[in-house]
Amino acid sequence: MSLSKIRLPKGMRALVLIISAALVYGFLNAYSNRLLLPSAPFIALRPQVVLPFFLGFVFGPWVGFLTGFLGNMIGDALCGYGCWTFWNWHIANGIYGLLPGFACYFGLKEIRTLRRFVIMETIVVATNLVAIGVVVLADLFWLKTMQFPESLNSWILPALITNIVLSFVLVPLLLVFVKFIVITVETRITLVLSWLIVSIVVISATAVTWTVWNDLTSQAASVQAFYSAGIVTVLVVIIGFLISVFLAHRITDPLANLGQAARQIEQGEYQLPVLDTLDKRSDEFGQLATVMRSMASQIEARETRLKNQVAELKIEIDRTKQDEDVREIVESDYFKALRQKARGFRTTSRIDKEEEIKDATPKDDESSSI
Amino acid sequence: MSKIISIHSFRGGTGKSNTTANLAVSLAQMGLRVCVVDTDIQSPGIHVMFQLNPKDIKFSLNDFLWGKCEIEQTAHEMSTEDSKGRVFLIPSSMRTGDIARVLKFGYDIQLLREGFMNIISKLTIDVLLIDTHPGLNEETLMSIALSDVLLIILRPDAQDYQGTAITVEVARQIEVPQMYLLMNKVPDLFDKTETIEKAQEAFTCPVIAILPHSDEMMMLASNGIFVRQYPDHPITREIGMVAQKILG
Repeated sequence: MSLSKIRLPKGMRALVLIISAALVYGFLNAYSNRLLLPSAPFIALRPQVVLPFFLGFVFGPWVGFLTGFLGNMIGDALCGYGCWTFWNWHIANGIYGLLPGFACYFGLKEIRTLRRFVIMETIVVATNLVAIGVVVLADLFWLKTMQFPESLNSWILPALITNIVLSFVLVPLLLVFVKFIVITVETRITLVLSWLIVSIVVISATAVTWTVWNDLTSQAASVQAFYSAGIVTVLVVIIGFLISVFLAHRITDPLANLGQAARQIEQGEYQLPVLDTLDKRSDEFGQLATVMRSMASQIEARETRLKNQVAELKIEIDRTKQDEDVREIVESDYFKALRQKARGFRTTSRIDKEEEIKDATPKDDESSSI
Repeated sequence: MSKIISIHSFRGGTGKSNTTANLAVSLAQMGLRVCVVDTDIQSPGIHVMFQLNPKDIKFSLNDFLWGKCEIEQTAHEMSTEDSKGRVFLIPSSMRTGDIARVLKFGYDIQLLREGFMNIISKLTIDVLLIDTHPGLNEETLMSIALSDVLLIILRPDAQDYQGTAITVEVARQIEVPQMYLLMNKVPDLFDKTETIEKAQEAFTCPVIAILPHSDEMMMLASNGIFVRQYPDHPITREIGMVAQKILG
């Protein structure tokens, strides 16, 4: 992969896009800091985190990186932390846009299959892990503002969990909106199922955290509560996602097979080995496959019949040649003599038979009267 | 009242001997006394269908035509216990010398007719089936001239169509009282009704049956009688219907 291939919207448009996106991101970062998590006073619940991911996927690594990097810087400046104080977080936010931006070099340009959907979500999760990793490493070696392992529980894990869940859920939504994710049966089922699972888990996890909050006495206990709930959330989201992928496959695999069978019929192949296991299923797909198979054999029979009918429809007889051949036979002396004799035989045999009948008549009467 | 029926095809390989043998057995199963005459002196074959060993043939049609024996001495009983009626076979000689002699000198129609009449009265035959030689040579024309019914067998192929058209016209000129077409070895996928209509229109002659191309029949080929071995087969029923129709 060469850098020359990295796509960048041309000229002013790119610049305007990056600056305005970074400003939006920065302002959202600065003014959404009120949504603080109860257990982690330094980490805000930041739905805007999906912005660099989204721009990275759609416009490539540079737009994604610069939006995240500059946006975070602007946010920090607006909050009064200073432009360079937490530079490691600028890099982390840049990575949010950078890695998804590289996805297109792995063939991820348009998502219409489950496989690509799973790749996209994997990139989202991996990007979160890499970004947090960079933050932690930079702090360990240069900034040294954190205390380990306390800060791991107090905000690193909470930040990771909330960002993973948010980006996991919201990035696909934005990508659907710009048709980067094309709505097919595959993507629709996966989206609906994963959303359903994620929302149930997030709501219940939040409910649990808030319920036990008042009973928690120490900060350590409250951190522990969030930590458990968060880990459970991430695990269930990932497992739920895998289940939804599996369920989607149960529906989309037969559809793909049926589609392939239809294409084979289109090309005049009627054996359809692609339906071999499918038509043994007892569900609607099985029924459809059975119907499709019988339809194919009917079409084949009809086609063969039509071909034969075309051949059968032309009983062609060369009438001129027929007349010649017939004339040659019937005008021979032999034939004329034979015809004469045959006429004679027929008259005499008719007479014979009539005599036979006359002779037999009394007998027949006797026998029938018995 | 006995009937003489010639079974003919313009070309070889139509299943003529096979059909003749099956028709004979079918008629016998209806309780009739049937005699099959193999007038295909040039290339006799129907004895194979009845599994008659050439060594067991004491007198053949050739012997009768040369005055060596009476016609009834040439008749070989081919009946089995399953049929109410009887099947006799008058074979042609298998000896090449005999075949050459007939080809050279021919035979007289008057004599052939006498033979037919005698066998009919001596063995009280109800139906005389004549297995003819393909083509339209003089002996074949003779058999046709002596017949009450002519059954022409053809396959669905262009050469058979042309030959059949000629045969139908010649037979009409010779004033055969009744004539039928039987299409044999017709692939299953042909539409039966349409095939019958087309053939009747093309040959201006009624089609008595359309027999399918049957693997079982091919397997038996000329080695046994199909209607005896497969009494419940659709083809057997079809041949039974031909037997009934042909009696009028």
